[in-house]
Amino acid sequence: MRNVVLTAVGLRCAAGSVPVLPDRSWGRPDPDAAALGVPLVARVEGVPEHPDFPDDRKGALAFAAAADAMVGAPMGGRRGVWLGTGLSSLTPDELVRDLYPHLRDGRFDRASLARDLDPSHPAPRRHVPERVTQVIASEYGASIAETSFSACAAAAMSIAEAARAVARDEVDFALAGGHDAMIHPIGLLSFVVLGALSSSVGRPFDRRRDGFLIGEGAAVFRLEAEEDARARGAPILARWLGAGTSVDAHNVTAPHPEGHGAALAMARALRDAGLTAADIDYVNAHGTGTPVGDRAESLAIRKVLGDVPVSSFKGAVGHTVAAAGAVELALCLAAFREGVLPGTVGLEEPDPECPANVLVANVARRPRVILSNSFGFGGQNCALVIGAP
Amino acid sequence: MRPVSLVAASLFCPAGIGDGGTGAALPGPVPGFAPHAHGVPRKHLKTMTRAVQLGVAAVYAALEDWPTWRTVPPDRRGLYVGASPQQGDAEDIAPALDATGVPFTLGGFAERGVPLIPPLWLVKGLSNNILGYASAQFDFQGDNGNWCDGRLGGAIALTNAIHAIAEGRVDLAVAGGADALVGAEAILGAPCGEGAAFLVLVAGDVGKTRVRAGLPTVDGGETGLGELGAASVPVALARHWLGGLMEVRAGGVHLFRP
Repeated sequence: MRNVVLTAVGLRCAAGSVPVLPDRSWGRPDPDAAALGVPLVARVEGVPEHPDFPDDRKGALAFAAAADAMVGAPMGGRRGVWLGTGLSSLTPDELVRDLYPHLRDGRFDRASLARDLDPSHPAPRRHVPERVTQVIASEYGASIAETSFSACAAAAMSIAEAARAVARDEVDFALAGGHDAMIHPIGLLSFVVLGALSSSVGRPFDRRRDGFLIGEGAAVFRLEAEEDARARGAPILARWLGAGTSVDAHNVTAPHPEGHGAALAMARALRDAGLTAADIDYVNAHGTGTPVGDRAESLAIRKVLGDVPVSSFKGAVGHTVAAAGAVELALCLAAFREGVLPGTVGLEEPDPECPANVLVANVARRPRVILSNSFGFGGQNCALVIGAP
Repeated sequence: MRPVSLVAASLFCPAGIGDGGTGAALPGPVPGFAPHAHGVPRKHLKTMTRAVQLGVAAVYAALEDWPTWRTVPPDRRGLYVGASPQQGDAEDIAPALDATGVPFTLGGFAERGVPLIPPLWLVKGLSNNILGYASAQFDFQGDNGNWCDGRLGGAIALTNAIHAIAEGRVDLAVAGGADALVGAEAILGAPCGEGAAFLVLVAGDVGKTRVRAGLPTVDGGETGLGELGAASVPVALARHWLGGLMEVRAGGVHLFRP
């Protein structure tokens, strides 16, 4: 197995396209969100629509991030693309155009609905989640294209699989990450009916937390064998050390209350990296800001990693859902570069029910090894471990 | 690297269930499929789409075929799934749209429609529901993955499962895929079917069949049973193996007798 390094990153999140540690919340009022009772969203500004993905921000975000990750890439070679993604939803226009005409007395007339489905319309293509991965793979000459659909763990899962493929020498380099954009009426609605969104600001690990700030974004990394990158003189942003995945095997919609699956994923990541708890300098928590999730994760961190400093980026850039594992790993690179352990934007009153050592404010200390958590609906958990270059 | 063996397989396809599914058939639904009779808990049926029911039933059937799985610790059991996004039942939002009225406004939808939408509407649409439900039902806590790559999804699940065992991340892997595409003919432009198949893979030299993984591909996933989406390659492999073939290549998976 070969050693793997991260040699480039493309990032699009509410805080921008340069991995720097966010120092404030990027949640802003939005008229569509307000109509659904959602006070703030963390939207990405200035992302041009991609011609292949009309009205699909996920695709546009992914393309922009992938293009940045390809800057300085080696010519030729065996390439693969691993991306995590989320649900595509109907737009309100599509609701009105495609569904309303088929409503009969509060139910859909399925026969007329099926008759009117038009395969030439771009909407069905947009709703095919793997299409973004395939088009990016085609654009960059990749022979492997894999799409992880593991809810909020999808991007982290993709990065782990890509790193393994590079380590196994299946590809010379991989583009890996995730993309998601749920800040549209039907996407927001999905979380509103679940009661998952905050009624105010995102406050991970805070006593008053009541849900998450929704964000959107994409991040794509270039992963290469260390020997190849060093031979080319490529900049090394981080060393890949390992990953661990698990399933809660508990409940499709709720995390294990004691964080059993989360703890398993972190313990496996440590083992995969050949490290012990004492080697971890900082944990980027999944830390969404939901009452149950933050408590379960903090119990798991305390159990596996002890008093390690922990924080969450979700109070700043929001929960970017399927993209979270990649967007936040990109922000972790800034911790290496800036020599700072980031605090938790939005956290003012740490919850004593969350026993992890959660940082309220930044701490000037350069981490050598970072562990980053991502947990998804369905109980899928993934922890990634990277080292300073 | 550890050797990997295939010890059991389940099969649900338009030709039938289990050994009965190895023959020819027209594209369409799985004949005789009754979710609760195939191990799917009744309490979850309302929050499962047809593809999820098929997938969970196929995991159940695969494990029933190799009872030794219970001796493997839960954290050494891996589950690897190819699946499409599960389109939440359109009927779930029909009452909300009806209550919103015409012209559609977001404000009206929020006020009158949203309260009528079931809370688990989003959850029902997730692609990883087979993995979520099956892992909880059978206590699989180990390495895992869910891939949403059309026909390629099942092949990716299988090849990654083989790697996971060979590299020592799990000792037992249940890997395959499920899809239910009947009704999608207008979108896909082809006859469609539904199907699910999962292979039980274990570490070491066990039984008569060994397995190796190459790069995942859709090659060899043709079944003549219509478009089966993520189930294509797993169904093709299960049909070959249950039909008695010992040397098979499909989807980047190589089954062989040592």
